[in-house]
Amino acid sequence: MRWIHAMSAAALLLGASAVARDAHASPTREQYRLFRALSIDLQGRIPLPDEIAAFEQPGFDLDAWIDQRLQGPAYPERLRRVYLDALRLEVGSMFNFVSNPLVLRRARLLDPDGNPAYVYFRRGQRRDRVESDADFCLSPDETGVTITSNGQVSGTARPIDRTVWEQRTVAVRPWWLYRDYRSASPSQRINAGDGSAMVLSPVATLMVDADNTTPTTTVRVCREEAQTGARGAMFLSGRTAALPRAETYPGGRVTAPPADSAYARAHATDTVSCTSGTGVSLSDDCGCGVGLERCMPGNSLGNDPAAFNLPDNVPLGADQALDTRAQTQGDWSRFWWAQEAVHFLDDLFARDRDVRGLLNDRGTMVNGATAQFYRGFAGSTCCGNGTQFEQLEPTALFDPARVPADLTPHDLATWRRVDDRGPQASGLLTMPIFLAKYGTRRARAHIVYNAFLCRQFVAENIALTPSTEPNLMVRSGCAACHATLEPLSAYFSRVTESGWTFLPAERFPTLNPACATRNGNSPNGGCTSFYDPAFGSATQGMLRGAYGSTAHADEGPAGLARAVVDAPEFAACVAQNVSESFLGRSLTEEDRPLQESLVTALRTNGYRMRPLVRALVRADAYRNANNLASGAWREGATP
Amino acid sequence: MENRRRTFLKVLGGAAAAGVASQPLFRAFADPPAASDEFFVLIHASGGWDVTLSLDPRNERRGIIEPGSTDTIDTAPIRRWRNAPLDADSSTFEIYRPAGSSLRLGPAIGNLGDMPERLTIFNGLAMNTVSHADGTFFAATGRHLAGGKPIAASIDTMLANEFGRESLLPTVSVGYPSTYVGNELDARVSPLRVNSVDTLSKMLNRGNVNTTAVDRQAVTAMLTEEARDLAARSWYRDEIEGFGLQLAALPRMLSPDVQQIFNAAALAAAQPSFFPSPGLRFQNRAGVNCAFAVEAMKRNLVRCVSFASASHDTHAANYRSQPLIQQELFDTVAALVRALDAAPHPTLTGQRLSDHTHILLVSDFCRTPQINLTLGRDHYPNGSALVISPRFVGNTAFGRADDDQLLPVSAGMFADGDRPVAPPDVLATFVAAFGVNPRRYLRDGDVIRSLLRA
Amino acid sequence: MKTTLALALIFTLGCNSTPAAPTPAARADAGLSRPTEVVPTPVTAIPGHEVLAQDHAPKEPPRLMPAETLIRSYLALFGGLSPQALQVRLRGTTGDNLFDTWGDYLSALGVPDYAVDIPRAPQTNALMLAAFERIGVALCERAVQADLRGAVAVNDRVLFRFELPTPTRALTDEEFAARFDLLHRRILAYPAALAPDGRIARFRTLYRGAVERHADAGARAFNGPEAGWASVCEGLVRHPEFHLY
Repeated sequence: MRWIHAMSAAALLLGASAVARDAHASPTREQYRLFRALSIDLQGRIPLPDEIAAFEQPGFDLDAWIDQRLQGPAYPERLRRVYLDALRLEVGSMFNFVSNPLVLRRARLLDPDGNPAYVYFRRGQRRDRVESDADFCLSPDETGVTITSNGQVSGTARPIDRTVWEQRTVAVRPWWLYRDYRSASPSQRINAGDGSAMVLSPVATLMVDADNTTPTTTVRVCREEAQTGARGAMFLSGRTAALPRAETYPGGRVTAPPADSAYARAHATDTVSCTSGTGVSLSDDCGCGVGLERCMPGNSLGNDPAAFNLPDNVPLGADQALDTRAQTQGDWSRFWWAQEAVHFLDDLFARDRDVRGLLNDRGTMVNGATAQFYRGFAGSTCCGNGTQFEQLEPTALFDPARVPADLTPHDLATWRRVDDRGPQASGLLTMPIFLAKYGTRRARAHIVYNAFLCRQFVAENIALTPSTEPNLMVRSGCAACHATLEPLSAYFSRVTESGWTFLPAERFPTLNPACATRNGNSPNGGCTSFYDPAFGSATQGMLRGAYGSTAHADEGPAGLARAVVDAPEFAACVAQNVSESFLGRSLTEEDRPLQESLVTALRTNGYRMRPLVRALVRADAYRNANNLASGAWREGATP
Repeated sequence: MENRRRTFLKVLGGAAAAGVASQPLFRAFADPPAASDEFFVLIHASGGWDVTLSLDPRNERRGIIEPGSTDTIDTAPIRRWRNAPLDADSSTFEIYRPAGSSLRLGPAIGNLGDMPERLTIFNGLAMNTVSHADGTFFAATGRHLAGGKPIAASIDTMLANEFGRESLLPTVSVGYPSTYVGNELDARVSPLRVNSVDTLSKMLNRGNVNTTAVDRQAVTAMLTEEARDLAARSWYRDEIEGFGLQLAALPRMLSPDVQQIFNAAALAAAQPSFFPSPGLRFQNRAGVNCAFAVEAMKRNLVRCVSFASASHDTHAANYRSQPLIQQELFDTVAALVRALDAAPHPTLTGQRLSDHTHILLVSDFCRTPQINLTLGRDHYPNGSALVISPRFVGNTAFGRADDDQLLPVSAGMFADGDRPVAPPDVLATFVAAFGVNPRRYLRDGDVIRSLLRA
Repeated sequence: MKTTLALALIFTLGCNSTPAAPTPAARADAGLSRPTEVVPTPVTAIPGHEVLAQDHAPKEPPRLMPAETLIRSYLALFGGLSPQALQVRLRGTTGDNLFDTWGDYLSALGVPDYAVDIPRAPQTNALMLAAFERIGVALCERAVQADLRGAVAVNDRVLFRFELPTPTRALTDEEFAARFDLLHRRILAYPAALAPDGRIARFRTLYRGAVERHADAGARAFNGPEAGWASVCEGLVRHPEFHLY
């Protein structure tokens, strides 16, 4: 057999690289093909005539050309696509983001002069009058109109008494109309948008008054909503019990005014943050802030009213939107959450940061919209039953104090790096888009396991037998997957499901004696919101999701990031994800040397991606590959 | 991405090249094209349905099972909901037993409850997963994902490969987990995946001011030849041959009758029963897809229509709408059956389309028997499936889940032993009903002969 | 190992068909009874095999151009406009129904929809081909209108950067080939001369057919050369080599 090896070696020596080119020879067809493929992959388009002309010049240095493209704007977009294809970091309207402390809906009424007028208000806003507490600020008796909690309107509007009008509502120049809304006398009113996602563009109905003609210069808003304080005093109405059920209540309201909660009564002298949903529900001092910047506008009384014009399709990036249409206030947040991930990925790849930062970078990118969200919106979903654990305001995954103060909601095209969001932040894992897209602890762990370790939970032929065992890590049939999944899920125990509220250990200890089971019964409702009775004991409750690993629960998402990037599969998975995307096929056993070389390129260069991509596009599998059949060779085709 | 990598070395000239050139490629065109008079509608009830409200009803607190009740469900729109006592404060539902049938159904079954003789139900399906992606592809392919990727052809692709190779549209897939994986597949049957069928008519519009259809057809014909020549020069031919076949099909795609089936207004006019007023709250897209299926099949343009329904994934308070989501889906399927009853078969004179149309409904898995803290139900590794086919024995429920925990229990003796029924069995039985050897596509799964009509 | 075995097969077949001449050493030992040792002979030493083309390249199937790249390529080919600006131009103002909106085509082009977990299309399908035609026709006909109907200097043209003879004179084969090469290089990114045999002739036939069909076109319709070059453009923009790489 020696001759075979000898001939093999000879044959291999005879072969020349498809891309090695005589300095004076014209490119071959395969060389053109490679150049076009490189342009598609590294420039995001086919080559232009002048680029082809340069390529045809004697002495053209393809490697230098590649290096230039790796510094170009299309390169980060190409790698971003690899990870967005894997993570699909967008959410549609199925992820409902309608937070009542956030949404300013508007009622159409008659002002004291009998003219139609809009009045903006928040559902659930605390007010000192029983006629309007946690309801619209003007009672049905005052307006002639009844507004139900789901936005239905009945009755016939009548002009509102001028004194009531002036007492209960104020005129504001809001952030969505004025670029300089933070100034004492805002004057820079915006114009209609240009169809770009980069320009703040309220829907047309927010730009005109209730007469549908007059351009809106100020909006009329309930007085409580117009307050600007960061904190408010605890509000006590004096109602200690719910009013008896009735058809109508004081002022003609159709909903019962709320009674003071036990918490409010016990903390009567406390103040609360006006950026948390709980704060808004406990204080009548909490409004929407300067220029209403802590609230989103809505053009109706609907549950999720229209707010801004936004593109539906941005496959080329938000700065090259393909279309635009009126979308809801929830769409606004969902759109910019997704854009945060896009810009985070672009920045990471453009600056060739350590790719492990996908998971463990404490920094992110913010623009005006996301800055506004983190400053004033994110806390609106906190804290529910957390008051039982003295949690009245969120421990933010992105500390609002670290958000650039000078970014206003109008700065949509300005993306700025924040190097440290806070101690809990960890790459994509703590971004709202990730936490919304993957709502449960297990879903979050699963996608990380899949996208960053290239592994999948699969139980083939197992028999699930009836069992009362709540521990899925040991339960027959379930254990095959959950023995791995539950400990991974535990890293997300401190981030609420379908949300981004962090549960700090000082208020929510993993093992909490206050939430122990009592005589075999579950603890109270507040406890069961956060603690799982199935894993509690007579001495302590178990934080939900933490049973897989209490240590992981305390490490949080950052702990998962550490575990994943330290895993030997991580670098191999990066190489696999990128090379499969570039080669357009799955890697096989035959690709192992390629994959190993890419892993080496990644590891020896500080986990930066450019060396990996450079190695990939110089690899035979990419560069020398062709699809020519032998028949084509016989016909004279040459690679 | 299919694994088709080959490395090789070739030397030109003489018998050497001939020897290499004759290496078998990895696709088979040896089989004669199959013609068929059968049609298929494959539906994925996405998100994981709660079978305790419909196909495998439970109305007792037993073991860990907490039945659907007035506490957790918005019962008002559920037409078959009849209160049955549960406790002092709430009611559950009465099991619906269609007249003359042994089937036990839940109130969410909707109008399908009126046609028990056509229903073949699989209960206690061993899904062995609570991952949406895994359950979705397991139900459609009979294989769990491997490395996060599907590794087998989906049922619509299998059927299109057997019966749809000559169809203009072998499979139209609207969000269905359609996969095109395997070396046995004809390039023509690659699923046509679309987001929605009724918004595609613009794609098929053509202006005739500057140039004409004849000009465009000349370009298409020339490109078809180019594709053929390129394929002949290629080592991997599938992509280019597929391109050429799709080019060849383009003139037919652009014909007026095809444009009609991709047009929302035309579908609504042709099949008003799928567009009730007031409109469906959740499943209006299912109605569009079913209208498309009927119209496309009447014209003999499509072999398989597969689609995913609106999501049944109700972990929280949205569980209140779970029975309505199901009722709307089952109502739509019932409307489909009736529309197929009313439609003549396009090639078999005197026969109805329903005599030759076969419907399979599956889901990712089912939902937990317990109600969670947020008053919803989470994922659970049991499942059900539903077949409506003249080749299947109707009025039948096969397999079961246990009484206390809703877990699959043995459905009988299979080739690999006593075990619950599983998705590969459903798929194997379904394709076997049409004379297809399941082993051509499915690694696992037994044919349950007792469910097939003689 | 697979490579080695493939070589073994290939060379075995090759040696059977063309036996090597015995070496002098073999001749000297011809009288001995032991088998003659087979001495490796380079294939290039075999008469007629002095110049041997060999393919060492790994084989890769063509992949579908990502939809984002396709749209960017359309933008680059037809003037480097923004998507919305190109959309306005493609829709036109004459009511000739050439284009709708990009949003109407994204699904068919295979753009993934992450919000609803629809992955990018990995391969072409019949509807995608219909979309390629719809968009290709719009792009090419608008380019013809902009470049060939107006008095635009050659160097200022978007696509058809060549002169045409007067409509009354047909292009010679050489004249067609030179102009076709410009378009071929622009759209498929390599010279037409390197294309598989027959391509130039095939496009020339396509061109002439359109010219003949439009010989007596009305004022609104394209005249012969306009229709001919529109068809050639469409043939390249819809070509498998354009969409697969």
